[in-house]
Amino acid sequence: MTTLSSHVSSRPIPNPKNSLITKLNAGTGLIVGVVFAVATYNLLKGENEDPGIAYNIHNRALLAAMFMWSIGFLVGIGAFIGPWRWLIGKDLTAEEQLYLAGDGQGIKRYFKYCTDHKVVGIQYLWGVITLLGVGGAMAMMIRTNLAAPGGHFITASVYNSLVGLHGITMIIAMIIVATGPFGNYIMPIMIGAADMAFPRLNALSWWVLFTAIPVLCSAWFLGGIPTGWTAYAPLSIQAGPGMNAFIATIIIFAVSTAVAGSNITATVIAMRAKGMTWNRVPIFVIGATISVALAVPAFPTFMVSMIMTALDRTYMTGFFDANIGGSGWLYAHLFWIMGHPEVYVILIPGVAVLMEIVPVFVRMPLFSYIGAVVGFAGIAGLSILVWAHHMYMSGWMPMLNGPFMVTTEMISIPTGLIFLVMLGTLWHGKPWLKLPMLGVYAFLWNMLVGGITGIYLSDVPADNYLHGSMYVTAHFHYTLMGAALTGAVAGLAYWFPKMTGRMLNERAGYVSFWLIQIGFQVLYLGMFTAGAEGQPRRVVNYASQFATANRISTVGAYLVGTGFVVLLWAVVHSWRHGKIAPMNPWGAKSLEWTVPYPVPLVNFDTPPVVTSDPYGYGKAVK
Amino acid sequence: MSEHNVDLKPTPGDRFTTFLKRKDIRETLAWAAFYTAGFVVLGGVFYTKWMPTSLSTDMKSIERLMVIFTWISAPVCGLVLSIATYTFRHGTRGDVPPEDGPPIRTNFLGVASFGAMAGILTLTAVVYGLIEMNSASEAAAKDAPSALIVEVTGSQWVWSFNYPAQGVSSNELMLPKGQPVIFKIHSVDVNHSFWPVQLGIKADANHFQTTSVTTTPNKLGRLDVKCAELCGLYHAYMETEGAVVEPADFNNWVTQNGGHSA
Amino acid sequence: MSDSTMTGTKRTASAIIAVALGIAVVGSLGLTLHKISADPHGKLYATKESGTINVAGKDYPKATIKLGVYADNAQPKDVGVIEAKVNKQDWVHFGPSTHLVLPANTYITMTIRAYDGGERLNTAYFAKVVGTVGGTMNVDGKDVTSIPDDKVEHTFTLHGIPSQGQDSLFVNIPLMKVEEGDNGFLPTQDPGTGMKGHTVTFSFLTKGKGEYVFNCEYPCGDGTYAKFGAAMSTYGYMSGKVTVA
Repeated sequence: MTTLSSHVSSRPIPNPKNSLITKLNAGTGLIVGVVFAVATYNLLKGENEDPGIAYNIHNRALLAAMFMWSIGFLVGIGAFIGPWRWLIGKDLTAEEQLYLAGDGQGIKRYFKYCTDHKVVGIQYLWGVITLLGVGGAMAMMIRTNLAAPGGHFITASVYNSLVGLHGITMIIAMIIVATGPFGNYIMPIMIGAADMAFPRLNALSWWVLFTAIPVLCSAWFLGGIPTGWTAYAPLSIQAGPGMNAFIATIIIFAVSTAVAGSNITATVIAMRAKGMTWNRVPIFVIGATISVALAVPAFPTFMVSMIMTALDRTYMTGFFDANIGGSGWLYAHLFWIMGHPEVYVILIPGVAVLMEIVPVFVRMPLFSYIGAVVGFAGIAGLSILVWAHHMYMSGWMPMLNGPFMVTTEMISIPTGLIFLVMLGTLWHGKPWLKLPMLGVYAFLWNMLVGGITGIYLSDVPADNYLHGSMYVTAHFHYTLMGAALTGAVAGLAYWFPKMTGRMLNERAGYVSFWLIQIGFQVLYLGMFTAGAEGQPRRVVNYASQFATANRISTVGAYLVGTGFVVLLWAVVHSWRHGKIAPMNPWGAKSLEWTVPYPVPLVNFDTPPVVTSDPYGYGKAVK
Repeated sequence: MSEHNVDLKPTPGDRFTTFLKRKDIRETLAWAAFYTAGFVVLGGVFYTKWMPTSLSTDMKSIERLMVIFTWISAPVCGLVLSIATYTFRHGTRGDVPPEDGPPIRTNFLGVASFGAMAGILTLTAVVYGLIEMNSASEAAAKDAPSALIVEVTGSQWVWSFNYPAQGVSSNELMLPKGQPVIFKIHSVDVNHSFWPVQLGIKADANHFQTTSVTTTPNKLGRLDVKCAELCGLYHAYMETEGAVVEPADFNNWVTQNGGHSA
Repeated sequence: MSDSTMTGTKRTASAIIAVALGIAVVGSLGLTLHKISADPHGKLYATKESGTINVAGKDYPKATIKLGVYADNAQPKDVGVIEAKVNKQDWVHFGPSTHLVLPANTYITMTIRAYDGGERLNTAYFAKVVGTVGGTMNVDGKDVTSIPDDKVEHTFTLHGIPSQGQDSLFVNIPLMKVEEGDNGFLPTQDPGTGMKGHTVTFSFLTKGKGEYVFNCEYPCGDGTYAKFGAAMSTYGYMSGKVTVA
């Protein structure tokens, strides 16, 4: 392990006074975005006698306004200045480039088009926290309504919107929950890079994502969505104006994911420190890269399915409308070809964070590094061959149910490897039971439950009963929330000192951990029971036989909710008042712990040279 | 101690005995037994207690499959949770990190046996599922000629059933006991999913294609017919009831509703 | 060892305030959603009548309730009905309210006045009268058990979640469409279209207490897929709920 002497920046603060880039920020972005959106809507709106055409025109105007908001915002924040200057042959000066990196601009740089990967990481972190907060509040509403049968708390249309928007908000949040904050802030330092491969694209990926958030929220004011996050056609073609917000959100988000995914992949391939051969790359970096590399081919099909839905809604193209020659199965295929890899895009980085944590807190090398890599790669590879297990009951090619069942159940083998790596590292060790390490234990239990119930669901005869029931909902919350989100929260506790310079408040951390994990078990064991009893998913009202299971679930949900509020308090409080963190509080051996806080602009004064993997723990062999 | 004794390699049997005598192994094995037994009991109780009354062999075999899958996975749960519990109990608390453990980077025997175990268990699950699936479709093919045909229509938020041979249509699903039934399912609008809960079958109702599914009700009792695919505003209310009744009662019902017994 | 630069008491207080704030934010969100979930037109109660009626050897108390189906927001006024609140969207709708409250174990006589045109049903089954006393309905003075499925303007289809907790209740009433220049029996006439409506009367028995919904099975959400969007899929227009209390 190398140590660096305390770093003092003597670089002059860049200030290219006459350049336009100094005048632009999120505020100007907001103004230009709103102007673009309002102008577009007014230009395109129109009346028509035929209600079908009127419906098409309204959808066109709304969709175009949403896209123009996004483009307008990016214009207003100066995202296109760099490419434009390059195009007219007056590339940005070195001083302007440095200005864009935000050095010495304090808190203002978080509201600017800032190319520093550490700023982008923090922006992502708060983006994730916001999305999780919104999605979590919606979950509380859903559970409150289901606390007793009757559906008295909220009406069916509001409930359906809650279910769909909770779903998509959480899916977006979970896709970026680890690769966003840690993939941007920590990962480049972990591999010894000065920044991401394409810093401007990095800023672009965040701000494009940012523009999707108001679009998503606008769904509420346009009448909500009736379709759930799966947005199955033809229901989505029947849906009201709120559906446009969903479509626009996905398309904008897909652009962001493509940009971020290629950037992260390129960075890991091209920017690793000298000596960091592939077998010396920290496992989090491997996991994050496999995850984004999986997202890059998977997401375009979702984008395409949404473009086709949009065309059906705006020009009656009939891709998914059987009355004019389309097919709902086509949508289901496009959606799930993205949808199933996507759950692993969420899961893998969360697990990889925990794998990064285990060796540090057990003080032993990561057991079977190769096994971990093969496990991740195996999951990613198989995940693109399993999508039709969501369609066993659809009537599409029942004779292919067998093969899809086989590929799906084969995923148990690489998943088993993941468990093996964790357990192998734990065995013989005396784990240091700090907050990040508790996440590992929560993961082992939650992923076990989530994984095993997944085997039932992948089995065609059992799925005949379980498909579309609350059992499915409980299953995927165990994997996505119980495993992936637990991993991300553990990662936050682990890297908090590097990202904020302070330690996360431990006592509040423990309180929130136990509230969340205990509440989580209560919540979803209740839901498993309701599902086994035969309660369908996504219902505003249910038969009284499910009342007890649902009431138990709601109590669990409130515990989880309280736990997350405590965690949020801990984050905010510790960020401002927390104990100052030493450079390497956990005694870890990866590169990010060799740089001080605040991390210098280019991370390392001298580019580091790597001579071993970061898991060289262990007593000297006698 | 004489030197040549030390050089002698212990036999595999000896090594295994010593291995079993280790304190950590013993505690872990105890936990493993505890958790395995726990999951065996849970599997036996949970699904049989909570899943609804089965009115067909399909539903019965699903229930059996859930129990057996839980039993197959019980040892896996035992292994994972025992190691987790053991290390958690022997973990270090406080602000001082523990000393480094042994620098074990891999263990061929461990990885190989774990991989083999995962493979065998997966294979068991796959084979069992395939056999179960195959027997269901074989039964369906065998029953086809004598079957009662029920046309199921999903319209946004109401199911309706038509019995073409009997000339009866209804909003309730009545089935005679012991006669195979073929459901021909379609939708007039968006996707629905036809789910007669106690029969253990399910099939989507699509607008563009009729799907069919077969079963034989073998017990009298109440049926709940639900929609298992989000279909818009009143998806939750797209539910109706029905019953499996004696063939004579079924014929009475048909005549009462203006049909003719086939 | 101190975890932070703040004193212990202050820290605990701020944590408690944060949790309270969290509950307040989520709670107010809940109240907002609860508020927008309220019935747009209030509840419509059935009027109890004196006397009882004997159906299948059992005496039931009687109650009546009247509904209308209007093609747009102007029509109620044209036919002399005052609605408490004008709908946000100018769509076809049931009125004066879509939340009906009926007494339990009662013989309900419902009258629906229908003023709309129509075409063919998506599902022919809903052209049949289901769940009424005697299996019939009275259209402009004539008892019928069904109407042709291409002469339907809307349906009143009442259903719920049958379960151990509440009795099942299913009623389906197809409403006859109004033809251009149709000589209906109503004294009132829509001056806009010159159409007279049909009066449909039917009776059904409520059982125990429960929550049900009703919707229309005639595709009247013009311009949307299967014509089941818009008015059909928005609470308070062609769909509503029925509380049996």
